[in-house]
Amino acid sequence: MLLPRFEYHEPTTLEEALKLLSELGGNAKVLAGGTDLLVRMKQKIDRPAHVISLARIPGLKEVTPRNGHGISVGAGASAAALSRHELLWDRFTPLASASSRLGSPLIRNRATIGGNLVNARPAADMPPACMVLNATVKLKSRSDERDVPVAEFFRGPGETVIEPNELMVSVNMETPPPWTGGAYFKLAARKSLEISLVNVAALITLKSSNGAIVDAKIALSAVAPTPVRAYAAEQVLIGNKPSDKLFQKAGETGVGMCSPITDHRGTMEYRCMMIEVLTKRCLSMALESARSWKPLK
Amino acid sequence: MKRIIQLTVNGELAEVAVDPNRTLLQVLREDLGLTGTKHGCGLGDCGACTVILDGQPVNSCLVLAVQANGSDVLTIEGLAENGKLHPLQQAFVEKGAIQCGFCSPGMILSAKALLDQNPKPTEKDIRMALSGNLCRCTGYQKIVEAVQAAANGEYMQGGDS
Amino acid sequence: MGEFNVISTRAPRLDAAAKATGKAKYADDFSMPGMLHGAILQSPIAHGKILNIDISRARRLPGVKAVMTAKEAGLVKYGVSPARYDETLYAYEKVRYVGDEVAAVAAVDLATALEALQLIKVDYEELPAVFDMFEAMKEGAPLIHDEFPGNLTAEVHQEFGDTEAAMAECDLIVDHTLLNKRQDAAFIEPHCCLANFDLDGKLTLQTSTQVPHYVMRTVAMVLRIPVGNVRVVKPYVGGGFGPKAEATPLEMSAALLARETGKPVKMNYSREQVFLHSRARHQFYAEMSLGVKKDGTMVAVRNKAVLDGGAYTSFGIATVYYSGSLLGGPYKLKAMKYDGMRAYTNKPACGAQRGHGGVIHRAAFEQLVDRTAQQLGLDPLEMRLKNIMATGDVTINELDMSSLGMKECLESVRDGSGWYKKKGKLPKGKGIGSACGFFVSGAGYPIYRSDTYHATVMVKLSEDGGIVNILSGSAEIGQGSDTMMAMIAAEALGVPLDCVRVVSGDTDLTVDLGAYSSRQTLMTGHAVKEAAEHARAQVVEVLADMMKCDPASITIREGKLLFDGGPGKFDEIRKTYMKEHRGWTDPPSGDYLTFKEAARMAYLAKGTIVGTGKYKPPKLGGSYKGAAVGTSPAYGCSAQVVEVTVDMETGEVTVDAMTDAHDCGRAINRTQVEGQMQGSLSMGLGECLFEEVKFDSRGRILNASLGEYKIPTALDMPNVNTIIVESNEPKGPFGAKEVGEGAIMPTIPAILNAIYDATGVRITELPVSPERLYMGMKAKKKEK
Repeated sequence: MLLPRFEYHEPTTLEEALKLLSELGGNAKVLAGGTDLLVRMKQKIDRPAHVISLARIPGLKEVTPRNGHGISVGAGASAAALSRHELLWDRFTPLASASSRLGSPLIRNRATIGGNLVNARPAADMPPACMVLNATVKLKSRSDERDVPVAEFFRGPGETVIEPNELMVSVNMETPPPWTGGAYFKLAARKSLEISLVNVAALITLKSSNGAIVDAKIALSAVAPTPVRAYAAEQVLIGNKPSDKLFQKAGETGVGMCSPITDHRGTMEYRCMMIEVLTKRCLSMALESARSWKPLK
Repeated sequence: MKRIIQLTVNGELAEVAVDPNRTLLQVLREDLGLTGTKHGCGLGDCGACTVILDGQPVNSCLVLAVQANGSDVLTIEGLAENGKLHPLQQAFVEKGAIQCGFCSPGMILSAKALLDQNPKPTEKDIRMALSGNLCRCTGYQKIVEAVQAAANGEYMQGGDS
Repeated sequence: MGEFNVISTRAPRLDAAAKATGKAKYADDFSMPGMLHGAILQSPIAHGKILNIDISRARRLPGVKAVMTAKEAGLVKYGVSPARYDETLYAYEKVRYVGDEVAAVAAVDLATALEALQLIKVDYEELPAVFDMFEAMKEGAPLIHDEFPGNLTAEVHQEFGDTEAAMAECDLIVDHTLLNKRQDAAFIEPHCCLANFDLDGKLTLQTSTQVPHYVMRTVAMVLRIPVGNVRVVKPYVGGGFGPKAEATPLEMSAALLARETGKPVKMNYSREQVFLHSRARHQFYAEMSLGVKKDGTMVAVRNKAVLDGGAYTSFGIATVYYSGSLLGGPYKLKAMKYDGMRAYTNKPACGAQRGHGGVIHRAAFEQLVDRTAQQLGLDPLEMRLKNIMATGDVTINELDMSSLGMKECLESVRDGSGWYKKKGKLPKGKGIGSACGFFVSGAGYPIYRSDTYHATVMVKLSEDGGIVNILSGSAEIGQGSDTMMAMIAAEALGVPLDCVRVVSGDTDLTVDLGAYSSRQTLMTGHAVKEAAEHARAQVVEVLADMMKCDPASITIREGKLLFDGGPGKFDEIRKTYMKEHRGWTDPPSGDYLTFKEAARMAYLAKGTIVGTGKYKPPKLGGSYKGAAVGTSPAYGCSAQVVEVTVDMETGEVTVDAMTDAHDCGRAINRTQVEGQMQGSLSMGLGECLFEEVKFDSRGRILNASLGEYKIPTALDMPNVNTIIVESNEPKGPFGAKEVGEGAIMPTIPAILNAIYDATGVRITELPVSPERLYMGMKAKKKEK
């Protein structure tokens, strides 16, 4: 399969990249891992006149803990790197887990968190994980900089609030409070190389190791044009002691927040039922993780 | 317009003039004559094009050649040393892990990358590491056995090719 | 195992090192100076009249060297079975599916060729299309081929015994239906070929094919070149599985364009085009009834098949016959009735894929056996044991089971899986299931009506005696036939494997029908054995003369000659050899005369020592219509037990364990036989759980990629406990018969029967996606 022709740019600094974006904007696509963009270009879905590679720009790949107050993940960090990061698994589990389920080991070595978020495919793995972690993304343009909560980032399939002259440079999260645990679930046919039918991410905070739920976040993808926070389902949980029955109720409520379609991968009916089942399971796993919370050394 | 790129392929410096829209797979096969890396799908779905790029196994059909400028690339042709098969290659040969052979270069490189990171993998680790490389002939079993045998040191560097 | 010196071992494949190092060259690895690239224009609509084709702009594009349509290519009809030559290389008058070939272009590079395709202007008048096989056969459906009213490519009605009467005798009659979806073989190497004419008009076509012989004939016929001027060379092939067992428009286009331009032409199918070309497994609807006695004795079967064949026939006639004939065994029956229909639809044509027409009907039947056993309160595996045939039995449709290790297969999977410890004792959500199957070891008749030999082989000894060269037109496509031939020849000659070389897959060498219907081990193997024995006899004749002894007193073992069991006095012979090889620093030595020296002497006496061998099956089968399909000199058989875990909340199925026993007559290479078993099972697992080609309402494929058409990954396939059974087939070389296709047969039903055991849901439609099983479980809950 052949790639169409394009002008290639390889800026060596962030400033240079932002300058290019300000000039080329709508006629350019940013190339990070390439596992989404190059596929779409080969399929003739995208035909940008310009491609701006981020490969030479320093400082975009780092995962920087902020001394117990959170973490800053470079937008160019690969899914593989995130899936191997100890602190992410420990404190930001949904993101580490989602990263480990993306595509295949080969894809994960190239795919980036920035790409996964900006491409905004409805079934993408990282968005719901970022949502339950209350992440914000830092967008830079030549003249400006803004932080956008992930919850407000997605507009539609393939569409986000990012402007043509902006670049995502980092994804930032606060460390969740003690007695928080998270999980990520993916439903697909095969056990690798899959675009999901339903994805669920959950984060639960308990009052104490066997206390009530003081905070809950549930997010899903592949069940609506954009990833969704299941706010109503979260409300079911908050203030109550965790139980199977409670999680079941949350799952049932979660369905109402979603608008899955029927396509060749599955029917709306099945997806709705799976939202219920997987939300419940994800919450159970998050609970287990919350109950085994330990302070960091 | 073509760009001149320099990359180290199998330990040797290569300099090529390439259009930006050529993939690393195309340049390896067509410009450098290294046809051991295979084209199976072009979309990153099958892993037949796996090479080790700067120490990591990737789908070379989804890497622009220009992105590999300054990089280190290992293809299947670079594995045997002085005509002697790498232990993984020996294992694949002896254990019957190769049938049609089309997935084998990619499979062997993914396995090599695994053993470089994790010299004593479990069966689950092996299957996970190979989960981006499709095989239609073997059912994967003898491939897994070959990787286990190589990891166990059953084949030492220096077998005959 | 001590019985043989070379066969029955785990010798590494002859080509493994080349493949492991990237040295093995496949079709796309070749290029030639001045080579052009070709590309094919395909119809974007499923059914339509071609009103006009304007190639003028394409022709004028710089870099374009030739443009061909039906007008330039001609209208010679071709196909697979001569009785159904229903295709022309390029569509004329109408297109019949999305992907139908309309034109081809050769240009200096692929990008230019593809650009040229965009410049070809085709005016279509779109016609109503039909995509469902049942709809296609209804009155008033759009007619796809004028000569085939009702869109019926083939119709089969067979009856053996009196089914009505037999059914009337039964205590119980059980029904079952099963529907699958069309498949794709998903070999990892897409089709590719390189065509070149020399100045004398001889075509050399390098192509990724299973059947150089049939490609040669089809290309010669369509391009009107004498067969002797067409040389098809098969390089290493990255998998075939059936769809590569016929000539493709890619091959014919490359040849045509090479002839037109006078330059070599390379052509590839993209992965998407592999799906559009298809020639893979049909969609089958199976509807059957099994009549039994209350003690579980099988009496009669009524079997119906409806096949979705796509726009052309391809292998389809054989397919629809196999859906019936392959139910004649492996169980004893008193009567069998079969009605089969294959419909045309406006979709890519379906052909032969591993197990051919037998797979889905075998799956349905094995589910039917389980259903019946359940109603009778019998253990399904025991019920199978009760009814299976044995060596020497002949099926009701006259297929001769000259060897059949069915009992041993069933008992070994029963014991190897711990069947009795598990059946009926597993927790909810876990299940165990069993199934059997059998398959031909090569079709009894060639695809075109002919008296031709099915396999011919030459064994040529190098004149220094040191190397044995096997020359064969047979096709090594990954299944291991080259190594099989080398091992058989080495065994027959009495030499070590490492002095045997194989050159194969070239039609200039010898006639061989190629790799399909699981034929090469038995048929080509026979020819190799005969050729090796012929070469051996010539060597022995000369030596007997030189040593003044009876030829029958000479044995050759491990490359050494024994005369009456002893070394004999061979000094003179060694002296002669040494004299002829002055300067060599590694002369033959040791207490025994070497084969090398003996073969050299034979050369000196007789000239080049060439052994020839050939194989043609005897006339097989009954005299009823369609009797030819299903006949074979021998039948492989197998049994399988599968264990699954079903996630009761989502419907996801995980196959935890597979125990598989296959009777291959004699394992020429044990590792290779196991590899074929494991590979077959992984294809069966994929077809059962994940695989289906999906279409939209306009006949366009929705999932023409390996990302969306899902074959098992390393995480989806369990380890298989493989058990080789050897029934020593009298008609096979060293007792060998097939394994390549037969092993897939029990896979789908064993999984389905295990799913039933786990959930109580009897599947009637494939693939068993989580949703399908989930909905089945939900419906079952409602029933209760």
